[in-house]
Amino acid sequence: MERWQYLLILGGCLLVTLPIEIFGDGVYRQPLRLLRALTPVLIVFLVWDAIAISLDIWHYNPRYVSGINVPFMPLEELLFFVVIPLCGLLTYSAVSTTLDILRNWRHRTADRSRR
Amino acid sequence: MIGLGYTLPAIISVIVVCVLEWAVLRTGLFRQPAYWISMVIVFGFQILVDGWLTKLSAPIVIYNEDHTSGIRFPWDIPVEDFLFGWALVTAVLLLWVKQRPDREGGR
Repeated sequence: MERWQYLLILGGCLLVTLPIEIFGDGVYRQPLRLLRALTPVLIVFLVWDAIAISLDIWHYNPRYVSGINVPFMPLEELLFFVVIPLCGLLTYSAVSTTLDILRNWRHRTADRSRR
Repeated sequence: MIGLGYTLPAIISVIVVCVLEWAVLRTGLFRQPAYWISMVIVFGFQILVDGWLTKLSAPIVIYNEDHTSGIRFPWDIPVEDFLFGWALVTAVLLLWVKQRPDREGGR
C-alpha cells in the first residue's frame, strides 16, 4: 500500500478539485485551451526535473512510488506536472467566476436602488 | 548548502515567468484580484500536499541538501518549492488567460 502514496496524493488533488469544474466555463470542458496552456510549461518543467534527477539534486523514495517509470522519472512525477497546474486552473476559474457573479449582483442592486 | 542546483534555478524560474508576462504575453494577470486570491488558495493547499511529500520523517521527495538553501518552512518544506510551485502554476495560468475560451474558437 505504501508505494501508492504519491499516486494517491495526486488522485486526491484531482478528486478534491473536480467539483469546481461546474463554475463558469470550467477547465476540462475547454480541452484545447487546456492543452495549449499546459503543454509548453509541462515540457520546460519535465526537462528541469530530468536534469535535477540526473544530477542527484533530488530523488524519489522508492518506498512511496509505484515503481512505474517513464523516461528519467517515476510516473508520479510526470503526473505531478499535469495535476498541480490543473488544480491551479480550476481554482482560478472558480474564483474568477465567483468574483464576476458578485460584481454583476452588485451592479444589479445598485441599478435597482437608483430607480 | 551552496544552493546552485535548486535555489538558483528556482529564483531564475520566477524571474523568467515575470519577464514572460511583462515583455511577451502582457495578459494583465498580475493586476487581477482573482489571480491573487487563487494564489493564496493554491499556497494553502501546497503547504498540505508539499508538507506531506517532503516531511523528513517519511519523505517521498528527497533533496540533496548541498543544492538547497537548507531553509525548510513550514514543516519540512524546502522554501525553494514555493518558488518552483509559483512559477509552474503562474506560467500555465498566463498561457490560459492569453487564450480566449474554447467556445469562442480559441486562438
